Amino acid sequence: MAVAILGAMGAPSPESAGSPIPCPLSNEEVCKAARLARLEPDPATHNRIGEELGTILGYFQRLQAMDLEGVEPLSHPLDARNRLDDDTPRPGLSNEVFMSLAPESEPPFVKVPRVLPGQSGA
Amino acid sequence: MARRLEDIQRVIPKIGLEVHVELATRSKMFTRVGNPACPEFEDSEPNTLIDPVVLALPGALPVPNRAAVEMSVRVGLALGCQIATLTKWDRKSYFYPDLPKAYQISQYDLPVCGDGAIDIPVHDPKSDEVRTKRVGIIRAHLEEDAGKLLHEWPGGGRIDFSIVDLNRAGTPLLEIVTAPDFDNADDVVAFAQALRNLCRALGVTEGVMQKGHMRFEPNINATLELPGGHTVVTPIVEIKNLNSFRALRASIEHELREQPQRWVEDGREMGPGAKTTRGWDDQREVTLLQREKEDAHDYRYFPDPDLLPVEVDRAWVESIRSAMPELPHERAARYRRDYGLAWKETAALTEEPGVGELLDEAIQSCIERDIERDRGARLGANLVLQCLFRLANERSVAPGAMGIDAERLGGVIVLRASDRISANAAERLLEMLIEEPLTDPEVLAEREGLLQVRDDSALEAWVEEVLADPAMAASASDVRNGKTAAVGRLIGAVMQKSQGRADAARVREMLLERLHG
Repeated sequence: MAVAILGAMGAPSPESAGSPIPCPLSNEEVCKAARLARLEPDPATHNRIGEELGTILGYFQRLQAMDLEGVEPLSHPLDARNRLDDDTPRPGLSNEVFMSLAPESEPPFVKVPRVLPGQSGA
Repeated sequence: MARRLEDIQRVIPKIGLEVHVELATRSKMFTRVGNPACPEFEDSEPNTLIDPVVLALPGALPVPNRAAVEMSVRVGLALGCQIATLTKWDRKSYFYPDLPKAYQISQYDLPVCGDGAIDIPVHDPKSDEVRTKRVGIIRAHLEEDAGKLLHEWPGGGRIDFSIVDLNRAGTPLLEIVTAPDFDNADDVVAFAQALRNLCRALGVTEGVMQKGHMRFEPNINATLELPGGHTVVTPIVEIKNLNSFRALRASIEHELREQPQRWVEDGREMGPGAKTTRGWDDQREVTLLQREKEDAHDYRYFPDPDLLPVEVDRAWVESIRSAMPELPHERAARYRRDYGLAWKETAALTEEPGVGELLDEAIQSCIERDIERDRGARLGANLVLQCLFRLANERSVAPGAMGIDAERLGGVIVLRASDRISANAAERLLEMLIEEPLTDPEVLAEREGLLQVRDDSALEAWVEEVLADPAMAASASDVRNGKTAAVGRLIGAVMQKSQGRADAARVREMLLERLHG
């Protein structure tokens, strides 16, 4: 799937773009990446995902081999700058709307499964 | 080799500090719904400061708040930081019900402020000396706060689930990271207090600790010196979410006591993966290990594709720089140097925003009315410290927001400096000015009979009345017999008769002439 996305964005396929060294991710690495993303892919797909991710990383290996001395880092693919908004408050959504969107609520709060105190990490 | 506590010859602490400051912009960091860190919205009902961006509804896009960037630049300049010409936004993966996007927008490699240093004063209460401590600033970056997860009903009441209030989600946070330049808790607290004063003076936060406007996270470890020139370095401990200076000091002192002991017990040293996170138990005054998943810190930062980099225009930075006020610790140093005020006085005068400005302008208005600067400053400082602070406290308002302007405060100082009113009358006059802020202090003093009576004939009449009072005979006799100190009681009696209006210095002269003459 990841390769398909790159293909759709016009990136060269690994075959046509020379020789990124395909180095599939191990099952363990795939499981870790999935855990961090809170995904539970079917174990039968782990090998395929590992290969696809390995191919993507192959592109970065090629990029890392390039001499980028004196080249400004690219922080966004668009060569544009963000606009900043004036600090003028506007009305938001009502609590009623929010409660109607929430899977479970105890108005005016959203109800979630019990979480241990002090775990927040932001 | 067995590890023994008695073998540790010296403990050399190393402490760095992360500070989260909630910026008091009117709207949030990436959307324009109200920000609860701004007084205008702080009492909003739960889950009412929300909109599609806060709730991460599909299609919602963030737009950064100019005021938050400007406030960050202001703080960065005050901390001597380099201000980035280009700053960008990154996603920090974060799965938790208090942030619906499942990531926090933060800044990873191009923060708005980098590489600075600030000299802060540290007061030693024992010697009353003030020394300067230089603190390096690694960076200060902008991000958004998370919402609040509650595990009981507000005000108490058990629940077997958790509830979410997203009002705070998206509040602009400035995270300031110092270099590990501290070796004791006193210096850390002095820095934290100086930073709070500075941020309040710059108008970027109200700095109310109980409301979580500022939160501290010290990183602490120590080098342990052992026999034979050996040293070991203990693993770094980060203490999360401290919201009082007391907790900041106590938790650091606790860690510095515990870390040598911990090393004796487990032998763990600094190294990859050795850093731990601890929470502070305020009741038991101990730090507690926060159990985290092994990869809890694997945040997988990546550039936020929804946000373009922001160019921080140099002309903009220069206009912010040119509007920077004198910083509280600089003003305090000037007061100590120029006016000879004590540390405690200067600390009080510069803690509350607006007070130093009011005093400085009042002193200036005194100078323009031919009052010597140092005399005006001393009398003005006393009036503010002893009277204005008390009156403000009684009315639960900030001393700078009492409605007394510098011109009128200056007027009271002038009357006092030229001995036309007594110290007590000056206090009463200030109190009256709160009710009648537009009246000229001299007019008010005259109308209320607060001006000192210096007319000798009026003073003489009171002096004679007091000396004729049999209750005063013993004191009068003491003065006649050379016990000059006894004159104080007689002066007091004259002041009472004159309802505080008699010129005490002239009364003293007259009494001594009369009794010795």
